[in-house]
Amino acid sequence: MATKLRKFSRSKVLKIVSFLMTVIFITSIVLHMVYVYYRNFDLEPWFVKDYTQSQTFIDSELTPAIDEMVKYIATEGNWEHDPDYYYFFTDGENYYNNIELSDLLVQKYRYEFNIQLWMYKNNYIPNDVFITEFDTDEIKENTLYLAFPEDYIQQKQEIWNSVREKIIPIASSFIHSVIAAVIFFVYLMVVTGRKAEDNEVHLSPYTDKIYSDMQLGIMLLTLFLWFSYAKYLLVRPNYMSSGYGIKMEQKVSMIFIGIITVIAAVICLLLFLSLVRKIKTKRLIKHSLIYIILSGISNFIRGFFVDSRYRNYPLTKVLNRRQIIFTVSSGIMVFFSFILILYRNILMGFLPVIIEAVIIFWYFYENNKTYEKINMGIQESYQEMMKSEKMKVDLITNVSHDLKTPLTSIISYVELLSKEDLPETARDYVNILSEKSERLKNIVSDLFDLAKSTSGNLPLDLEFLDLKKLIVQTLADMEDDIEKSNMRIRTTLTENPVYIYSDGKKLYRVFQNIIGNALKYSLQGTRIFIDMEINNNIVNVTVKNTASYDMDFTAEEILQRFSRGDKSRSTEGSGLGLSIAESFTRACGGTFKVEIDGDQFKVKLGFIISNVVPPEEA
Amino acid sequence: MENARILVVDDDKAIAGAIEKLLVMEGYEVIKAYNGMEALDALVLNDVQLIILDIMMPKLDGLSTMMKVRESRNIPIILLSAKSEDSDKILGLSMGADDYVTKPFNPQELVARVKSQLRRYLQLGAKYSANSSTKIVVGGLCMDVEKAELTVDGEPVKLTAKEFKILEFLMRNAGRVFSAEQIYEKVWQEPAYSVENTVMVHIRRIREKIEINPKEPKYLKVVWGIGYKIEKI
Repeated sequence: MATKLRKFSRSKVLKIVSFLMTVIFITSIVLHMVYVYYRNFDLEPWFVKDYTQSQTFIDSELTPAIDEMVKYIATEGNWEHDPDYYYFFTDGENYYNNIELSDLLVQKYRYEFNIQLWMYKNNYIPNDVFITEFDTDEIKENTLYLAFPEDYIQQKQEIWNSVREKIIPIASSFIHSVIAAVIFFVYLMVVTGRKAEDNEVHLSPYTDKIYSDMQLGIMLLTLFLWFSYAKYLLVRPNYMSSGYGIKMEQKVSMIFIGIITVIAAVICLLLFLSLVRKIKTKRLIKHSLIYIILSGISNFIRGFFVDSRYRNYPLTKVLNRRQIIFTVSSGIMVFFSFILILYRNILMGFLPVIIEAVIIFWYFYENNKTYEKINMGIQESYQEMMKSEKMKVDLITNVSHDLKTPLTSIISYVELLSKEDLPETARDYVNILSEKSERLKNIVSDLFDLAKSTSGNLPLDLEFLDLKKLIVQTLADMEDDIEKSNMRIRTTLTENPVYIYSDGKKLYRVFQNIIGNALKYSLQGTRIFIDMEINNNIVNVTVKNTASYDMDFTAEEILQRFSRGDKSRSTEGSGLGLSIAESFTRACGGTFKVEIDGDQFKVKLGFIISNVVPPEEA
Repeated sequence: MENARILVVDDDKAIAGAIEKLLVMEGYEVIKAYNGMEALDALVLNDVQLIILDIMMPKLDGLSTMMKVRESRNIPIILLSAKSEDSDKILGLSMGADDYVTKPFNPQELVARVKSQLRRYLQLGAKYSANSSTKIVVGGLCMDVEKAELTVDGEPVKLTAKEFKILEFLMRNAGRVFSAEQIYEKVWQEPAYSVENTVMVHIRRIREKIEINPKEPKYLKVVWGIGYKIEKI
């Protein structure tokens, strides 16, 4: 039951209905007020039943009557017209009356009060002064006796009653509107953000995105605009009615006021509920622009003083702390000089200046020492780096020597062995030894080329050269291999020479390896394509071939050291050809990319075209 | 000359032994030394016509040994080294070596280089001069333009007419780099149009005839992306 109720009370439909109801009732309250204003209704008949008990009676009957009497007595003038009431007054000598006192005293609505006391009290008429019933026969001096004829009051009471009849239904509907609006509003405040499924407070993805202070600002602005516009609309019809019904103009104004009230109510209510949700989730302050800006500024300032990020750099930490001390103390000194200047104390004004000079001296002196230390550290690590770099080169050289020396012996003795008179089988073995030691020699040599170039120790002999010519030369140089392989090579080269600044020998090695690779691993009868094209200031050379085997490796894998297509593992070569080509290309300042597309194997090289014409051509 | 005496210096005894046997097979007399000091001692005691010298050795390394030898002797020295950088080769050659062979070497190639050096030293020593205007000499290459003859370390080599003309042009301008077009126009006397292949084929054939190892030419070199030249030696 409880959950059912909860489900119902938190359902979206009910929330929306309540929202609309709140808006409608708020508008209704406003329109009621406007209506009452236009009808010029006096509200007093609503809660005061007797006319003679009302403030209206005091204001519009009694007070004017006393005023008139005072003026009449003071000027001893004549009445402009006869008063509606009976009066009797005497100061002992003169009598002012339109009725005998005995007649006056039998009237139902009669009042007496001391005129001196009344004048002394400065127009103020306390109720108890005149509502006192009197029944003494003695005539008091300086006392004003007033009485209203019963039929006159009767007449006024009737008008009073008719107004009461009109105002009471309006008032009661107004009260109902207020109660309904408050109920719906409170209900909305309670259930907003809540969902039937859980007890969490959910924020709206729309209105709650707006910062709290902006919401508040928008609300106040909306209310201000609403109030100004409504006021303008309210007084626009320059006609007031106290009679029956209201005029057309006033109706139009009421419609417009209704519309703007609905709009303002919707906006304010939405924002207010959002603020309520934020209060519920305790995000009201945190999600305000002012808070975010202030916390950002405070974080920024705190950032200067927090040196945890220099944890691993003690020297920098010292610098940072000194910087803070310098800045803060200088600030204080500036403040003091400012104050001393304000008090025109010239002599004392020098004190902060002297202290500041000391601070500056201290700051520079200590900083220079720290810089020295930092520089020493950098120098040390640089030397360390150089040392390790040299060790790397030495290592390569030494290992190279240690591998090549025994290899030299092996090759030499195999050669000697082959010159001996050997049986047929032994000769075959020697041939295999010779072949394999030759291959080992190539591998070792390639390995050290690669090691050198990847460790960045490849000496380069840079010059301006024609890449097109280099490719043609390489192809001409490899003509024997090309003929042997039965492959055909199709070249599409640029028409004009393409000059680059690079190492020709290394690039020859690059192209030799790539083309050699293509010759070795191409499908019989397919062609190898070498294309050269210029894109802006880059020349791209692409070598494409169709592989004779399944390329079950990725472009990245083929460039890994020693990786090869499985089928070719037993053939000659070191398997380092492409790696060397890549490494040499990069060392020469080019780009190297391998693409595999089905059976298509593609190597793409890129070099920056040199704009400088080589000296021979100039 | 068959009895030429060769000093083999290498701290690795196996290598020294292998070289000894290879050279003995070719009919040379061999003395071995295992470091620089021993080599210098051996030189005092023996009349040696050629030295094969390893660079990385204990006590006295190859380059220092070579400098000591050069103080008194002008015999050919072939450096042996595991260092294969161009800069190492240039350093060795500029310090007075006649040839530079990197380890691991091809035994045949080493023998060929030994032969070539000995020929130059023993046979041609006296008459080896470039005084004659019809002769062009670059290192071991000697070209007699009038007789249309070429000898490499004294060994006559047969070239075709075009090959001879190309070589002559390059030898006359030793050290200068020429493009294939320039060579073609000079030799064929025709305007050049995509002649790279033609010229390259001839260059390769010449190399096979004059170089001990055409893959690592000593004289006729390709300057990649620029052209061709005869190294000035």
